[in-house]
Amino acid sequence: MFSNNKKGWLLLSPTIFILIIVGLVPFFYVLYVGFFKWNPLAVDPSMQFEGFGFNYRRLIFDGVFLESIWRSIKFSVVTLTLELSLGFLLALSLLSSFPFKKFFRGVHTLPLVIAPIVVGSIFKLFTVQGLGPLPHLLKDYFGYTLNYGMNADQAFWMIVIMDIWHWTPFVTLTLLAGLSALPQDPYESAKIDGANNFQIFVYITIPMMVPVLIVVIFIRLMDSLKIVDEVWMLTGGGPGYATRFTGIHIWKEVFEKRYYGLGSAMSILYLYITIVICWILYSVMVSRGKSED
Amino acid sequence: MRKLLFALVATIFSFSAMAGGHAEWWKNAGAPYAGTTLQGIAENTPPGQFAGDVLAKEFEALTGIKVRLENTSWDQMYDKAIKDMEANSGIYDFVYIEQDIVYDYLNRDFLVNITEGLANNPDLQAPGVSLDDFTTFIDYFKDGSGDVFGVPMEAFIKVYLYRKDLFGRADAKAQFRAQYGYGLTPATSFDQWRDNAEFFTHFCAEQGMECWGTTVQGHTGHPASTYEFLESIAPSFGLYNWGVNMDSYQSCVENGGQLNGGRAKAALNFWTQLLPFAPPEALQSTWSEVGSSFAAGRAAQGWVYGENAAWIATDAEKSAVVGKVGVMLPPTAPGVMTQAASGNGYIGYFDGGAYGIPHSSKNIEATMLWLQFVAMNDHQADWAIAGGRITHKDTYADPKVMAVDEQADGYFSLMRDTGFLYAGAPPFPFHGAGRGAIDPFIYSALAGEMTPEEALDGACQALDQVMADLGYQD
Repeated sequence: MFSNNKKGWLLLSPTIFILIIVGLVPFFYVLYVGFFKWNPLAVDPSMQFEGFGFNYRRLIFDGVFLESIWRSIKFSVVTLTLELSLGFLLALSLLSSFPFKKFFRGVHTLPLVIAPIVVGSIFKLFTVQGLGPLPHLLKDYFGYTLNYGMNADQAFWMIVIMDIWHWTPFVTLTLLAGLSALPQDPYESAKIDGANNFQIFVYITIPMMVPVLIVVIFIRLMDSLKIVDEVWMLTGGGPGYATRFTGIHIWKEVFEKRYYGLGSAMSILYLYITIVICWILYSVMVSRGKSED
Repeated sequence: MRKLLFALVATIFSFSAMAGGHAEWWKNAGAPYAGTTLQGIAENTPPGQFAGDVLAKEFEALTGIKVRLENTSWDQMYDKAIKDMEANSGIYDFVYIEQDIVYDYLNRDFLVNITEGLANNPDLQAPGVSLDDFTTFIDYFKDGSGDVFGVPMEAFIKVYLYRKDLFGRADAKAQFRAQYGYGLTPATSFDQWRDNAEFFTHFCAEQGMECWGTTVQGHTGHPASTYEFLESIAPSFGLYNWGVNMDSYQSCVENGGQLNGGRAKAALNFWTQLLPFAPPEALQSTWSEVGSSFAAGRAAQGWVYGENAAWIATDAEKSAVVGKVGVMLPPTAPGVMTQAASGNGYIGYFDGGAYGIPHSSKNIEATMLWLQFVAMNDHQADWAIAGGRITHKDTYADPKVMAVDEQADGYFSLMRDTGFLYAGAPPFPFHGAGRGAIDPFIYSALAGEMTPEEALDGACQALDQVMADLGYQD
C-alpha cells in the first residue's frame, strides 16, 4: 500500500515532519523532563531522577494544583453551558430575517478576531476600579461595588463573562452553519403531524445537530480548559488563588518558580485529564445519539 | 546650503560632545560592527525609555551600530530574557538585570564577565569611560572577585511622597487638629500615616476631590504587592531579608525565622488596614499604576519608586501635581534607623538594574561598546532627569540635576545622603521561586480572604517548603 501511494506520502512528508518537530518532540521532551526533579535555582541545579512516579506522586497530594484543576473544570462547565445556550439562541435568531441582520452578524463576530491578550486588556480597561467605566456605572446606577481585585467571586465571574463575550460568536457561527445545512423534510413532516416549535426543536433540531454540537463542545472544552492569556491580563490569577486556573498555575510553577520537572509532570497529568474528560463526553454523546436513532 | 552646513557642523559638534570628545575613537571602534543590530530587552520604565529613545539613536549615529531595545512589561521581560538565556538561542545581545535577580543569573552563569572582556580586548576600552565613576550600586553586579557583570543603568530609592499643597491647607490643618488632637504633618510614624490616610480620604470626599489618603501597591495578582510588602513595609518595621534566617534558610518563627513573627504581622496589619483609605484602583496597582495614581493627584501620600518621583514632581505634561510634591524618608519603627545606619538593617529598597550581556549573545564585542556608551558620564544628567535615577557619583553635582532636585523637593539629595540606609534585595539565588511561594498569601491578605496572621503563617511554610525543596536547608 505504501509503495502505491509514494506520491501521497511525499506530499505529506513536509506536514508530517513539521508535526513531529512541533508536536511529538516537545511532547516527549516534556514527558521525559516530568520524571526528573529539576529546578535550576536549586543548590544542585542538575536533573535528578528520583523514580518515575516522583513528581506524579507529589501532585496527587498537591492541594493547590488539584484545586486549580477543579477550578478549570468548573469554569469550563459554566462557560460551555452558557456559550452553547446563548450561541444556539443567536444562531436560531440569525436564521430568521430582521432589520440590520447583516450589521448585527458582523458586529457580533468581531470579538472572534481579537487576540485573547487584547480581550484581557479591553476588559481590564473597562472594569478596573477607579478608572474603568463599568465600576462607576454599576455604583452610580445600582449601588453595586465591582472590585474583582478584592472579591474572588467577582473575579471568577468576570473571567466567565469575558470568555462568553469572546467565544460565543464562534459557537453561534458554527451552529448557524450546521442549522443552515439541515434538511427541511423532517421539519415539514413534523408540522404536518402537528408538532409545536418546542417539540420540533427538542426532537428534530437537536438530534440532527448532534455532530455539530460534538465538534463545538470539544473545541470549546479544550480551549476553556487551557485558558491563560485573558486571565493573565485581567487578574493575573488573583485575588489569592481565585482565578488561578491550571494553565496559569503551571506557568507560575515553571517560569516563576522554575520547577521544570514538576511543571512538566503537571502538564502531562493535565493533558491526560483533558483527554479523559473529552473521551467520557464523547462516549456519552455518541451513545445518546445512537439510542435516539 | 548655509543651513545644511550649519546642521552638519551642529551634528558633528554634538556627536563629539556626547562622545566625551572621543567621537573619532567611537567611530573607529564601531566600524567593524557597523550595520550590526544589537537586540536588548528591558522593563518599560522611564529610564528604559530614555535608553531606547535617546541613547540608542545617539549610539547608532556615532558608531553605525543599531540598538533595538524592547521595553516591555516586567514579567514579559523576565520570561523572554530567561528563556533566551536558558535555551542559549542568542536572541538578545543585552538584557536588563534587576538587582534582585542578579544572584540567580550569576549562579546560573548566564552573564559575560565585562571586566574580563574589556581586559582581554584593550581595543574595545572606550576612552573616558570608567567603571569607577559609578556609585557603590555597581557592587551589586560584581562577583566575589570584584568583576563586573552588569553596567548599572538605573538606581533609585523608594521614598515617601506627599502632597505639600494638601498638607499645607489651613482648613485641613484645623480640621485634622480638631479630629486627632495633634498637628497635620507628613508622616513620621505609622500611626500618623494611618491618621493622615483616614483624614484625607474623608477630607477629599467632603471637598469633592477625587483623592484618597494613601497609595497601596496592592495588586492581588501581580508580584508588585509582595515586593511592596517585603521590600518597603516589612523592613521599615525591622523585618529584613524576608524574615529568612540567613544561616539556616528557615523563615517560620518556630524554626528560627521571622516571616511570621511579630514585626512581620504588625507590618502586614498596618499595610492592609490602609486599603480603605487608598484609591479604588489600589488592588489592581503595580508600581507603574501607583506612580500614575499619585501623578493624577489621587493620593495624599504614599510609597513611590524613585524612578517615578522626578517626573511626578517636574513633568507637567504627565503629572497634575507638579510643584506640589514633597519627598521624605518613610517612617520606621523604633530602632530600625539605628540598625540601618550601622549596617545591620535597612529602611527600604534600593532598587535598580543594569544591562548585562548573555553568553548566548552573538555580538558580544559590539555590545561591550554599547554598554560603555551607556556608562559614559556625558548623558547621565539628562538620564537622571528623565528617569529619576542616578548611577554615577558626579551626576548629583550636575547643575541640571541640581535644578530638578530643587523642583522635586530634594529627591536626588535625599538619595545621595540617605541611600546608604537602603539596601538591595537579599542575595537569594532562589529569589523567583521564594517570592512565587509567598505571592498568593499576600494577595489573599490584601483581598481580605485571610487575616494577616494566617497569611504570614501560610507564607512562611510555603517559603520554607521551597527552600527545603531546593536544597538550601540542611
